[in-house]
Amino acid sequence: MSGHYVARRFATAAFTIVLIVLINFVLFRAMPGSPERVLARNPNVTPELLAQTRARWGFDKPLFPDQFVRYVAATAQLDLGYTFRGRPVADVLAQRIWPTVLLFGLGEAIAIVVGLALGAYSGWRRGGPIDLVGNGVSLLLYSTPYFLLGMALLLIFATGLGWFPTFGMSTTGATFANPVDWLIDVLRHLALPLTTVSLGLIGQYAIVMRSSIIETLSEDYITTARAMGLRDGRVLRRHALPNAMLPTVTLVAINLGYVVAGAITVEVVFNWPGLGTLTVDALASRDYGVLQGVFLLLSVAVVLANLAADLVYGLFDPRVRA
Amino acid sequence: MHVPQRGRAFRLLAAMGLAISAVLPGLSASAAEGDVLVLKGGTDQKAETLNPWHSVTVLDYEVFTLNYDLLVGFGQNLEPVPGFAESWSSSADKMTHTFKIRPDMKWSDGQPATAEDARWTYQLVLDAVASEAGYIGSGYLEPYLTNAGIASVTAPDPLTLEVKTEFPTTLLTQAYVPILPKHIWEKYTLEQIGNAEAEGFFVNEPPVVGTGPYTAVEWESGQFIRFERNENYWGKQSAAAEVILETFADSNTMVEALKSGELDYIRGVGADQFDALANEPNIATAEGFANGYSYLSFNTKGNTEGYGGSTSALADVAFRDALGYAIDNARLVDATLAGHGVVGNTNIPPYHKDWHVEPANPRKFDLAEANRRLDAAGYTRGADGKRVDKEGKAITLRLTWPDSEAEMATNGQFIQGWFAELGIGVEPAVTEEGKLLDDLLGPPDGEANWDFYMWGWVGDPDPMSLLSFFTTGALGGSNDSFFTDPEYDDLFAKQQRAVDATERKGYITRMQEIFYEKAPYHVLYYDSELHAYRTDRFGGWTNQPPDSGTPLFGYGPIGYTVLTDASAAPSPGPSASAAVTPAPSAGGGGTSTGASDSTLLIALGVAALVVIIGVGLIAMRRRTVTREEE
Amino acid sequence: MSASVTTPDAFGDVPARRRLASSGDLFRRLLRRPDGLIGVVILVTFGLLAVGPDLLVGPLQTAVTAVGPRLSPPSAAFPLGTDELGRSLVNLTAHATRISMVIGLLATAITVGIGALLGIVSGYVGGRTDAAIMRVADFFLVIPTFVLAIILTSIIRDLAGSGAREVFGIRFGLIAIVVVIGITSWSSTARIIRSQTLSLKERAFVDRARAVGAGNLHIMRRHILPNVINLIVANAVLVFAGAVLTETTLSFVGLGDPFQPSWGQLLDASREVGAPSLGAWWYFVPPGLCIVVVVFAFTLVGGALDDLLNPKRRQRR
Repeated sequence: MSGHYVARRFATAAFTIVLIVLINFVLFRAMPGSPERVLARNPNVTPELLAQTRARWGFDKPLFPDQFVRYVAATAQLDLGYTFRGRPVADVLAQRIWPTVLLFGLGEAIAIVVGLALGAYSGWRRGGPIDLVGNGVSLLLYSTPYFLLGMALLLIFATGLGWFPTFGMSTTGATFANPVDWLIDVLRHLALPLTTVSLGLIGQYAIVMRSSIIETLSEDYITTARAMGLRDGRVLRRHALPNAMLPTVTLVAINLGYVVAGAITVEVVFNWPGLGTLTVDALASRDYGVLQGVFLLLSVAVVLANLAADLVYGLFDPRVRA
Repeated sequence: MHVPQRGRAFRLLAAMGLAISAVLPGLSASAAEGDVLVLKGGTDQKAETLNPWHSVTVLDYEVFTLNYDLLVGFGQNLEPVPGFAESWSSSADKMTHTFKIRPDMKWSDGQPATAEDARWTYQLVLDAVASEAGYIGSGYLEPYLTNAGIASVTAPDPLTLEVKTEFPTTLLTQAYVPILPKHIWEKYTLEQIGNAEAEGFFVNEPPVVGTGPYTAVEWESGQFIRFERNENYWGKQSAAAEVILETFADSNTMVEALKSGELDYIRGVGADQFDALANEPNIATAEGFANGYSYLSFNTKGNTEGYGGSTSALADVAFRDALGYAIDNARLVDATLAGHGVVGNTNIPPYHKDWHVEPANPRKFDLAEANRRLDAAGYTRGADGKRVDKEGKAITLRLTWPDSEAEMATNGQFIQGWFAELGIGVEPAVTEEGKLLDDLLGPPDGEANWDFYMWGWVGDPDPMSLLSFFTTGALGGSNDSFFTDPEYDDLFAKQQRAVDATERKGYITRMQEIFYEKAPYHVLYYDSELHAYRTDRFGGWTNQPPDSGTPLFGYGPIGYTVLTDASAAPSPGPSASAAVTPAPSAGGGGTSTGASDSTLLIALGVAALVVIIGVGLIAMRRRTVTREEE
Repeated sequence: MSASVTTPDAFGDVPARRRLASSGDLFRRLLRRPDGLIGVVILVTFGLLAVGPDLLVGPLQTAVTAVGPRLSPPSAAFPLGTDELGRSLVNLTAHATRISMVIGLLATAITVGIGALLGIVSGYVGGRTDAAIMRVADFFLVIPTFVLAIILTSIIRDLAGSGAREVFGIRFGLIAIVVVIGITSWSSTARIIRSQTLSLKERAFVDRARAVGAGNLHIMRRHILPNVINLIVANAVLVFAGAVLTETTLSFVGLGDPFQPSWGQLLDASREVGAPSLGAWWYFVPPGLCIVVVVFAFTLVGGALDDLLNPKRRQRR
């Protein structure tokens, strides 16, 4: 992996983050509604008080450069402003990020392992029974919005059969005798949302991996390897798989941005206390400060994940390495 | 990449998955709660503050009345009962009010609670009102004292609090202001208490120190607050050793959690869910009158100078009156609220049973009558059947509502349909809440560029705030219809100073008549409060007030303190709730389908879909493969 | 919610002969494949439903014109039951088909329009223009467009004013969603078209055109565009699937319009009224099934077109 390649990746990531911060500034100014609205529907507030507050909130400084400089400085110090109800956005995000990381980290891990395995096998045995069923199911899962899948699982396994709790990440207020009990409690809460996330992602990854394998198998060197009499399994593992993995790794990283949409709806269905529920709550209460913060946090996270994927890609792809 | 390793990792994961799936279903739900009886409540509102000055929602109020005492509390019938003060009296002129504080009362941290704490709290409000900002926190609490005309407050001795007011009043016993521990709060400046964005803001992190029946000991902002019993509480202790109030983004999840026993009480259920819950075992429902209403407000200044209404007709009482005959309030209650509400008329909801009066000549839904009145008022139909205003312009009204009130869209469909029969066009569209607030502003801050819109108001224990929205003094504030009437203004001032209830009732009656006749609003309905709770863990649920309230989320913590352990003594059952709960509307039938039925159906549906598509795929792939291999 | 089931690099160099094959030829070959045929049949069925719901089920029922009981299960009079206003789910689902398909179509047109234009320009002009466009494309490819879409929808509605006006028979509030989907999802199209343009640029016929003095604009319009049109169509099909899913999710979080219910709006309405906990499956199963089946069909057709246009996958058999 050449220094030039690494430098370029870092430059791209930095550029994207700058663009994100810029866009965030523009969006923040364009948001509808004014900050005094917490007072505006208060039946007891006098008109004088309202007028006074409006004047106080009016942006006294010009948009550029003063406000922009202040915004950039604050963002650089991870000061993301305040929620509608006056809590620091950064605190709220810090509190909500870990449940999402847990749910989607595990979901991604399971989906990558199962999805890629299923996709690879389907592509390898194209037209075989596993491929037919697997590809059909993958397409079907890909076509199903996460929240539909989640609602179905919730109704069947939590409400209908009562196997799992219906909401949250752990039993609120429960005290546990030992860490194992706590872990089991969390796992029981995790089971259904995690299944939903994994199933949704498995469909996508299997489809991509399958087509990637099919493509790789048509490459000359595979044909050559086969012609040389190498066993099929060995060809798959030693040659086809590593090469087919590469575009898929990139896609998994790029996909993170799309996964967010699924995250939002799955978390709402299961009342999972993560960034998705936070986003929908913020949308419902028109808490744009929080929406901005979520956007900034997720964007930067996805950019960094992509950067990591690019670097990994660079490590393994001989063309890049050269 | 070493392939064998990857294979191992895969096997390991698979094994873990198997192990997890084998373990999970076998476990019981009661992880480890010991013998402590915990009351778990669910709500659609977010637990966002422990600092009472920043309260906005019903949940916020519930939280601070659990933590703290009001000077005078609210009883089972909303009557004044001892709170932080044991007794109270007023001078003959009703301008000096003396409160006797309970002796030997202690804060939850063991410090003595005295009149000095109450004085400090009330003085904080006086300081805030006199400050540059003019309010504190969200601005919701201090009006309870300023509306009563509070002038000064002193504590001549540890057991006596004396409050002087600018005019005679009886409102101090209704003041919804929590008494705070001075020894905790005095360390912070007014700015640090009142402004959440200030340096060193006082969050009031748990454990909260108060004199209320519970103290908050754990808080995940936006998610839940956990309370433990305050062992120093002066009053009756409840059977619940702990209370948890938790936020739900989706009411379906909340209802399921109540059914499965993961929750004991829920507030914020849909009307259809409420009806269905009434048939569930061990679950009771409570339908309370809400202290508020949903309304249709007119831009009563029409298109006069500085106002952006689309037609002069909006400013005409006869026009607004005629439209009232084209609104079928009963149908709206049925469709939008599934029957869980009361047809609206005046600006004081029937919840205030001492103050509400029914209009003498209520408008009945009658499109012919509406048409006749429009004709009589001079709004004739053009050649195309459209009504024209006095300037000869076809009338098309823009109807809007805030996006926070999604169900208003249903009312919008009805109003569009009914007004079409009058030859009046309606363009319904939702508006983002913050933008709507800006749009509504009249001169000098805004252009009032709107025709009519729908929203709701929630009132206080006293009807004062609900009456204030139509006064000249509230223009530029809560007077969102720009309605002004000299007689109404005069009556408002009189009722504020009337200390005799009968005299005040007279003024308020006339105010409601003016409101209904002049029709700045058409009150669409008084929506009900819909709550549901389990009866198998706790007993003693009592509605506040008994005939028209709900057990919890009323006024003050009394509903919590009367709870009993249902396993200890058989519950008498939901005594009062049945009386107020109307039978589910007969039209339904569908709602009786049990959840297990639907589970089965969904499972079958999904399975069928998978099979159909799978078979199709296999069939066609097989053909593809065969043909392409030829 | 991926609009990029195809890897951006899946399209290699296309031999000149097939590149020049007509779209009609491509369509015939698509119909000869069973997956293509099934997908097209499903899509044509829904397309017909979308064109004339009035003819089949009458005008969209409103709160005023509804006649059924509240939330009644399927019966002879109401084959798919009714919603909380007593409207027939048959009527609602049919009209929602129209709304969802029109939103999908418009959003796809914008997405593919922007993507193809920028892709061709980027690939043909090259240099700094190419670099700049591709940086922006990368930006939209990686950022979580859904959160951006939520924020943008609010802003566009704020700027655009009253949501009651109609464009293409769609209320303005929904047009905001269309525009937002278009703005946020063009980048994968641009990348695909760009890489194809890059290879076309080196072809003899482009050189010949340049030799006889044709301008860049002329070459892009007359020589490049016709040769990437098949690719654009194949991509549009996949974009459509993504657009339907995105619209559904946006509506599900409450950004739809109850005056023009789409499938996603129906799902949101069913959740609001508590249909899942009421067991009122007939409220959310029909729109849910429609979404799954239509997205499935689009993905089938898209995959099939992808196969047909991709020489590597064909060779291998």
